[in-house]
Amino acid sequence: MSDRGPVQFESAARLLRFAVVLGLIYLFLAGVSSLEGGIKVMGADTQERLFSNVSHPIAGLFIGLLGTVLVQSSSASTSVIVGLVASGALGLEAAVPMIMGANLGTTVTNTLVSLGHVRQSNEFRRALAAATVHDFFNVMAVIVLLPFELATGLLSRLATGTADLLIGSGGAEWESPLKALVKAPVSALKDGLKSAGFDGNALGISMVAVGLVVVLISLISITKNMKQLIAARLERSMNRVLGRGGGIVAIIVGILVTVAVQSSSITTSILIPMSAAGVITLRNAYPVTLGANVGTTITALLAAMAASGSDALSIALVHTWFNVIGILVLFGIPFLRPLPIRAAELLAEVAVRRRTFAFVWVLGMFIIVPLIGVAIFR
Amino acid sequence: MVLSFFKRGESGLEHVAHQTISMLGDARHSFDLASTAVLAGADPAAVGADIRATDERINAAEQKLRSELVVHVAVQGGGDIGLVLGYTLLLKKIERIGDQAKNILDLAEEGISLAGADDVEMFISRRQQISQMYVEAADILATQDADRARAFLAASRELNAECEAKVHEYMHSDRPGHWAVPRAILHRYWKRIVANLAGIVTAAIEPISSLDYLEGGATDIVD
Repeated sequence: MSDRGPVQFESAARLLRFAVVLGLIYLFLAGVSSLEGGIKVMGADTQERLFSNVSHPIAGLFIGLLGTVLVQSSSASTSVIVGLVASGALGLEAAVPMIMGANLGTTVTNTLVSLGHVRQSNEFRRALAAATVHDFFNVMAVIVLLPFELATGLLSRLATGTADLLIGSGGAEWESPLKALVKAPVSALKDGLKSAGFDGNALGISMVAVGLVVVLISLISITKNMKQLIAARLERSMNRVLGRGGGIVAIIVGILVTVAVQSSSITTSILIPMSAAGVITLRNAYPVTLGANVGTTITALLAAMAASGSDALSIALVHTWFNVIGILVLFGIPFLRPLPIRAAELLAEVAVRRRTFAFVWVLGMFIIVPLIGVAIFR
Repeated sequence: MVLSFFKRGESGLEHVAHQTISMLGDARHSFDLASTAVLAGADPAAVGADIRATDERINAAEQKLRSELVVHVAVQGGGDIGLVLGYTLLLKKIERIGDQAKNILDLAEEGISLAGADDVEMFISRRQQISQMYVEAADILATQDADRARAFLAASRELNAECEAKVHEYMHSDRPGHWAVPRAILHRYWKRIVANLAGIVTAAIEPISSLDYLEGGATDIVD
């Protein structure tokens, strides 16, 4: 029943797609560099005005969340945060809660996907539980780790230590080799905008705007092409998770798949129809989700390769450490492990009885509460 | 297991296709064993365990492949939905063929044996013909050969008509019930098996909307 094209044509198409992905990664890095360059061009007072709102950690958390919900990609929002930290406009301490917020916001995509099953009670119960287990893990990780970070600075110190280990201490002046590679297009953009009459803040804002658009478009395209490239592997990996159950292997599968497609939303959203159809249990889907959380941090690490200074790498590593420590605490400690699962099951049960609750949850968790939080704590 | 992510391998539907052919091989094995019990006097208890184990294997494979089809749609989107639905029907037909082998075994377990009967050669010949159809159906699934599929379907219609005629003949036979009834039932089972095999082959060449239906909407398959 299969009707596949000639193998040679398929191989050539794959090679071409791979080359396109490499080009897109270059574009993405150039976008991050343009973003950083644009912020640097702006005056110090403009930078101060732009980022004074996120000096409170709760405001930073919710801005990270809202920004991610807006672009539906934590890869994009964390890359922007990396660019901001690299520019020096956003401090490492202020960026940490934003990274946690980005982690929270990325769960909106699969929660929205689960709402597609709202008409079938049993499917909806399973789908919503599979989606919101991601929400609950991230919320619980923030509840545990944000106060701990504010009190001890553990995450930032751990990330800075790791960055120092990777690039040597005193790395404020450190520039990755990739930064030099993307210098040319960013300089060309800057010169082009200057010759078009842009200067000062207008030049900076234009470079930031171009950088944002390039980062978003290139990330979306990378994800789309990589998904096509690894679809067969992705399918085999998911089948193995079904065959062998959850646990560490499922976490590793989640990491590998997400690193490959550069989007945790792709990985977690694939789990939703599988959960709805009942082919994967919530307990087996949960660790894949955790792996996706870790895997998605690769994009910020990649972005840090195009940014200046060790702080950019440190904030990217904060994202990784936050998720790794979150897993060690919430998944590694046996009595805490069932908590996100039970919370998700409970929420799904309530939502099946009152469907509007699911919509209230999405609106409340991803829009209303963050907006109120920003309004109060800015 | 995790390292296999980095290795090349068959795509999801290719894997389902290979497993489907393997399931047909299992179904043929059950059919041959059950037929041996009725036609050659093999001990039903001896072959029964093997047939039931094979049936469980077929059922487990059907469940696993159904899950894999869901995963395929979740990962690849709706592009292959026609194929996926086709495979869902096809898997169900193979599972039914497996059950029908158990039906034949039930006859043997009831003490029915045609070994040594004066008409056993006709039964053995038909049994061989049907057994060969399993192989042919698997080949057609693997090769997607539309000409062979059409020839298979023509042969299956002919064989089903013969089985139907035989059932009719036994129903009106003057011979005692203990002679006629097992023969009629066996032909009835064979007819259902051949119809399901035809359904499997049809799935290889026909669009999903027309599977199991004739022009005008009449049902094609008696299963």
